[in-house]
Amino acid sequence: MALLERDHNAVQSWRGNLPVTNRYTFGLAGERFFREIKDNGRIMGSICHHCDINYVPGVNFCERCLNPVEDWVEAGSSGEVHSFTLVCVNVDGSPKEVAELIAFVRLGDGGLVHRIGETSIEEIYIGMPVEAVFKPASERIGSILDIEFFRPIGG
Amino acid sequence: MSSEKIEFPGTSLSEKDFEKGNILYNTDEMHAEFAWDTGVGIGSYLAALKDGVILGSYCSTCRKTVVPPRTVCEWCFRPMNHYVPLHDTGKIMTFSLCYVTWDVQRIKEPLIPAVIEIDGASSGHGILHLVNEVDPQLVRIGMRVQAVWKLVEDRQGAITDILYFKPSEEA
Repeated sequence: MALLERDHNAVQSWRGNLPVTNRYTFGLAGERFFREIKDNGRIMGSICHHCDINYVPGVNFCERCLNPVEDWVEAGSSGEVHSFTLVCVNVDGSPKEVAELIAFVRLGDGGLVHRIGETSIEEIYIGMPVEAVFKPASERIGSILDIEFFRPIGG
Repeated sequence: MSSEKIEFPGTSLSEKDFEKGNILYNTDEMHAEFAWDTGVGIGSYLAALKDGVILGSYCSTCRKTVVPPRTVCEWCFRPMNHYVPLHDTGKIMTFSLCYVTWDVQRIKEPLIPAVIEIDGASSGHGILHLVNEVDPQLVRIGMRVQAVWKLVEDRQGAITDILYFKPSEEA
């Protein structure tokens, strides 16, 4: 067999999989924020009195004046829809069986991106008041999904 | 400088903090699958390993036999002339006693990676493989070794079709 000819009986490629795993800690402020969600079912913010900003989720340092922020306060469980979208595909690009309503919910001077439930794309509007629906305390693990979804208030 | 510092800023964490749930965290896994094209020379090399042969290639200009086989000579840049089946014996050119695995686990019995000059190839030409069935303290440069192959039915056309090299009986 000529040297420059490919041996078609040979393995054409070598396949493998790199075992790369990662572990991401939430950080000091993130730990405090998610610990409150898990243990107390509360969404916490923190206030920079110098800049008069109520950060949600809570932060340890003000991103504007860079001062430490020590005043942690409950942000309440209700806010309003700031922006929303209908998600029809999964992360891997495959179509979703049921389209999911996702919104940025404004809480304090910040907010959370989360699912919206108990309403529809026809009914939702920017400015709609919504409230967080938490999982039962026994099922909470310290994740943003400990909040099941936000739903319209009084809807 | 840093050796003078007694306390570093930040929050140190140990494995226990994760195990006991003292700290919240996410874990994830990347899907880092890959397919690496073997190319012509290495493709033939791997196919030959499946048949129990270590393959080299010969350049008549440089009168060199290299292993693993290449299609182009590294010295004169001409195409190599032909493949050469080599012996599955050789001698240790260099070796290491390795007390950690590839993923940094400590082990009591060392792995012995070695570069083995393959009989039939030009002087100084060999492959990296493992040496086994030997007292680690007795491994020497120049030691004669022979390949221990996988069973024919288990071979898959990979360098691991050779399990390891062991000291040859002739020695």
